[in-house]
Amino acid sequence: MSPLAIRLDHVSAQFLHRVKGAVAAVQDVSLEVRPGELLTLLGPSGCGKTTTLRMIAGFQEPTGGRILIGDRDVTGIEANDRGIGFVFQNYALFPHLTVFENVAYGLRVQRQQASQIAVAVREVLSLVGLTGYDWQLPHQLSGGEQQRVALARAIVIRPGVLLFDEPLSNLDAKLRVQMRREIRSLQKKLGITTVYVTHDQEEAMAISDRIAVMNKGGIAQIGDAEELYRRPASVFVARFIGHANLLPTSVTSIGAGSVEIDIAGQRHIVVAQCGDLRLGQAVTAVIRPEALGICDASKSDGGLMGRVTSCTYLGDKCEYVVDLAGAELQVIKANPQPSDRILPGTAVHLNLPAAGIHLLPER
Amino acid sequence: MGSCERRCLPAGLTRNRRFSPISRWQHFIATVLMAIAFGWGSAAAADSINAYSIWPENWARPMLQEFEASTGIKVNFLRFSSGEALARVIAEKNNPKVDVLFGGPVETFAAGIKEGIFEPYKPPVATVLPARFKEADGYWTAIADDPLVFMTNQKFLTENKLSPPTSWDDLINPAYKNMLQMADARTSGTAVTRIFSVLEVNGRDEEKAFAYLKKLRANVQLYTKSGGGGTLPVGLGQAAGGIFFIVDALDTKAKGYDVVISFPKEGIGTSAEAIALIKGAKNADAGKKLIDWATSPGMQGLFAKHKINFVPAHPDVKTQASLAEVLRGAKIFAIDDAYAGANRKRIVDRWVVEVLP
Amino acid sequence: MKGRAVTTFGPQSSVQGRHRLLVDPAFGVTLAALWLLLALFVIYPLLMMLSAAFLEGGRLSLAPLFAILGKPSHRAAFLNSLLLGALVGLFGTALGFLFAFTVARGSLRPRWVRLIDAATLLPLISPPFTTSISFIFSFGPRGLITYDLLGLKGTNVYGLSSTLAAEVLTYFPIAYLTLRPVLTGIGGNLEEMAFSLGSRRLNVFRTVTLPLTVPGLANAFLLLFAASLADFATPLILAGNVFQVLPTEAYLQITGLFDLKGGAILSVLLLVPAAIVYLLQRAWVARGHYVTVTGKAGPQSAIRSVTPTARTMLLAACAAVALFILYLYALLAFASVVAAFGADHAWTLRHYQVIFTEGRKAILDTLFITFVGMPLGGLYGVLVGYLVARGPARGRGAMEVVSMINYALPGTIVGIAYLIAFNDPPLVLTGTALIIIACYVFRYSPAGIRTTVALLEQIDQSLEDASRSLGARSGTTFRRVTLPLVMPAFLAGVGVVFIRSMTAISATIFLVSIGWNLITVRILENMTELSLGPAAAFSVFVIAVVMAVMSLLNAVVRHLPTATGEQMQWGIGGG
Repeated sequence: MSPLAIRLDHVSAQFLHRVKGAVAAVQDVSLEVRPGELLTLLGPSGCGKTTTLRMIAGFQEPTGGRILIGDRDVTGIEANDRGIGFVFQNYALFPHLTVFENVAYGLRVQRQQASQIAVAVREVLSLVGLTGYDWQLPHQLSGGEQQRVALARAIVIRPGVLLFDEPLSNLDAKLRVQMRREIRSLQKKLGITTVYVTHDQEEAMAISDRIAVMNKGGIAQIGDAEELYRRPASVFVARFIGHANLLPTSVTSIGAGSVEIDIAGQRHIVVAQCGDLRLGQAVTAVIRPEALGICDASKSDGGLMGRVTSCTYLGDKCEYVVDLAGAELQVIKANPQPSDRILPGTAVHLNLPAAGIHLLPER
Repeated sequence: MGSCERRCLPAGLTRNRRFSPISRWQHFIATVLMAIAFGWGSAAAADSINAYSIWPENWARPMLQEFEASTGIKVNFLRFSSGEALARVIAEKNNPKVDVLFGGPVETFAAGIKEGIFEPYKPPVATVLPARFKEADGYWTAIADDPLVFMTNQKFLTENKLSPPTSWDDLINPAYKNMLQMADARTSGTAVTRIFSVLEVNGRDEEKAFAYLKKLRANVQLYTKSGGGGTLPVGLGQAAGGIFFIVDALDTKAKGYDVVISFPKEGIGTSAEAIALIKGAKNADAGKKLIDWATSPGMQGLFAKHKINFVPAHPDVKTQASLAEVLRGAKIFAIDDAYAGANRKRIVDRWVVEVLP
Repeated sequence: MKGRAVTTFGPQSSVQGRHRLLVDPAFGVTLAALWLLLALFVIYPLLMMLSAAFLEGGRLSLAPLFAILGKPSHRAAFLNSLLLGALVGLFGTALGFLFAFTVARGSLRPRWVRLIDAATLLPLISPPFTTSISFIFSFGPRGLITYDLLGLKGTNVYGLSSTLAAEVLTYFPIAYLTLRPVLTGIGGNLEEMAFSLGSRRLNVFRTVTLPLTVPGLANAFLLLFAASLADFATPLILAGNVFQVLPTEAYLQITGLFDLKGGAILSVLLLVPAAIVYLLQRAWVARGHYVTVTGKAGPQSAIRSVTPTARTMLLAACAAVALFILYLYALLAFASVVAAFGADHAWTLRHYQVIFTEGRKAILDTLFITFVGMPLGGLYGVLVGYLVARGPARGRGAMEVVSMINYALPGTIVGIAYLIAFNDPPLVLTGTALIIIACYVFRYSPAGIRTTVALLEQIDQSLEDASRSLGARSGTTFRRVTLPLVMPAFLAGVGVVFIRSMTAISATIFLVSIGWNLITVRILENMTELSLGPAAAFSVFVIAVVMAVMSLLNAVVRHLPTATGEQMQWGIGGG
């Protein structure tokens, strides 16, 4: 079966809150998931990502808009008719059924032959690495094993789309990393269009083809990981994806292919052209901590002048907080050597390559 | 469960098929229909009648079984005390569930006539029965006579150096304080007969009668729901004595309990036990047969055989010897049922308000 | 924790509920059918009873109400009912607490726990007035204990104190069952912490244990108050004529004075405190508050919360009460095998013979009604519970309240209401088995409803979503996922309906007929007719049957995949 696209057309979901009255969980969301791609809905809790996912699944009815899976308008269609596979945050394995029966559930609903079912179940169990687990009951399995059963159960029915609702949030960190790799490789192998919901941006960046960052019921930005990281469209996205130093500033001069801005009243930095900017326009400079070079002022010349307020040693990097004329900047130095360590209170020079700054026009 | 079972019998489909919504409903409806059918079916078989019996089971059952033996008609009955029975029949007035009201003091029947629940029917023997054993219009006919007696516990008497009470005033002796049991007028005909006896002994002077009853009340431990309810406590010694129908009293003695029967010299009442046909009875003809049989020597001649100590109402049946012996010398008068019927509710209400608390 | 469902609540349910109703016919049909049944068997009789009480020829007339209230005996009965209820609540809760505390904290040997369990189980599974008989024999003027043992003369067994004692012994197991999981659930950790802060044992009890138990105590008190309020049989036997209570007054008003209207009015009077208690319970005991406890013993604290002397004293007190209860039942068993209790103690099986011949109809009728009612009651409980927990938000609260009405009302009221409602057209059911079955199902299923709701609240919605995502329709999901998981609730509902059908009397005494009689009614009849032998034999028979079936049900529950056997305890109790 060739992979299907998913399309959301101006979808909204409203509900009545006991205290706040009418609240929009999802507001006028339009997006398209390309066939075979893994799109992640990323955002803080309450942003509407889970609601959106559930609307795609059919567990929730949108109050406005349309949802299409493939060419089919599924907006009014029940969840059990949409041909989806759903993996829940708490796995939702049927506690009274064995692993085999859990996985076979969807096939039995389709009234397939017992022999066919057996073959399909065995196949998918081996795909997720759970051969031999047939007669275990869910409560006998570890978190990771349960996760795989949930996955197997969703896949075995050959759904048109796969939907994941924060499937890894109940696992510990190392397992999470391992599982997300497995999920990603499985998805690529099967080529099923997938929508994945998570609040963990590292996870999102690791597995997605594209990420849709959501905030307060709407989509803040859609793009692949690099686009979101290097060219965030808003302060929110900048803050949400990775760490960011945000400096309010203004355009002091415009050149061909580059503009100049004023950083902390100290110097004019030349930055690569970012969109349509006017002279004097207020902008926010987004500077990633690892883009800043830091050096003891006594040992270098040139660069922004600041003073270290704190230094945290984390093994693979050192996190510095530098006071730059009143503004606090976070600076990361990778692979710190003992000789490089800069103590709090030291005056430092910060080096900022022009390409390391991204400008966000103020709205 | 072996592994084969798990493999071959998938846990979902076959085992739970019977719980599918549609067939669950079919089950429900089927059961309901069955229950209804069962319910309606059992009460209306051919050649059987339904009755409420005010007589206790151990007397009603043998008598009604004898009836079935002699006529082939089965009697399905339920036992209630007189007040309960009357209440049931009245409640079911529009849709009577029984054909006959069997046994019970006459004054209960008299009260029922006013409610219009009986169908008049005069059995053939009515012509030979004295006036007090039949209702003028045929609403009820007597099947037995039942005098009240005093019954006391012998051990109590011995311990308290008392002789068996031979006067109404003996019962208000403080020695009996909190040791008497007798029937509650709200539910039992025994009590009503008792109260009307007191009235009669006091020349129908209600003030005198109620004054006595209030004094008596001080000695009463418990007013029992049914007429004979106090006999066992008296037999056991839980109570010292009480006023009961002779059938219940002698039954207690026969069971082996150490009790004494005595009569007040002022006289004590007797109440006829009656039978009546219910208006709108579904098996009226068979019911009439029961009435014919019960009012005649056919049933009453069997009292002796089953050791039931009723005095027969039919003049041709002799009182059994042992009973006659007990009754010798006792002053027993009949309660005037017209008077009793007319005033029952008022007197009982007054008793409830003035004497009971 | 492996595999534990995480409860999630959200705004989703209302939206999808509405959607499901329109799209899923099975759902809608079930909902409509249940409402029809509720209207017919709960609302209609209640309305009929209210109209019988307050309507005169079609117009509202309060004169009979004032007439009833005018009688001092009725007013006294009302106050007596409240007084008795409060006292039973107080003492019963205290006694239940004693038992619960001893079992939860006393580190008892299994032998003692078994004794206590047996003693507390007996009153729950026997007809509520069977202890009354034994009481009379023990404490009457020639009672075994008062006269033979203590040499007291002329004691009066009838009145408030006996009724109070008998009811406390009958109902305290409810308090015990309510409080035990609460006390067990208060982990030893809290007390350990208090100890580590230097508190002495008594102080810990006073400042930690007791305050945490207060909601449980309040709940137990209300349960016992309601049970006593509704108890018709015990006061009938033990209260005598000096201490009247409302249920018995209502009963006597109808059966003695054949005043249906008066009986209805008295029943309505009883409604008032019953309703207040019910509302208090709902407000106080937040839904779901107590039922997530699984009944497993909490972690045993290393420190003993009670000193050895205290433990011995507690145990002695409990054992004394337990032994007394066992004595009462032994007396009953004894009465069933002697020729004439108190007069002729010859050994005989005659009484058992009597109950199996003359009483055969009542036995078969009772068993038929019980076994038909059980699955109906269990099923009804699960369906209503499911709709209340998962159904469309609108009407959900209404269905829950309406389904609880017959359960909250004292039995006399329900019985009278059914008598009034179903004796005349349009629907004549008096004289059938159906009226009794309906009475039981709609009166005792709410226990199953509550348990189902509680269980469903623990079962995450995502399980049903998962089933739907895999292509299953509502019916299939209910059948293959929900029903197996609420099986413990179904069985709990079945169990409660069973026990109460075998032992209840206050409602159904009005509903027996020529065609259908009940063992409990026969017991009462036998007792008032002084046939003690058969009465005792019937009682022993009932207890034996109930024990047998309950053990069977318990065994089944234990083998279920997600069983929590403690669920069955809820809702047992009351007459």
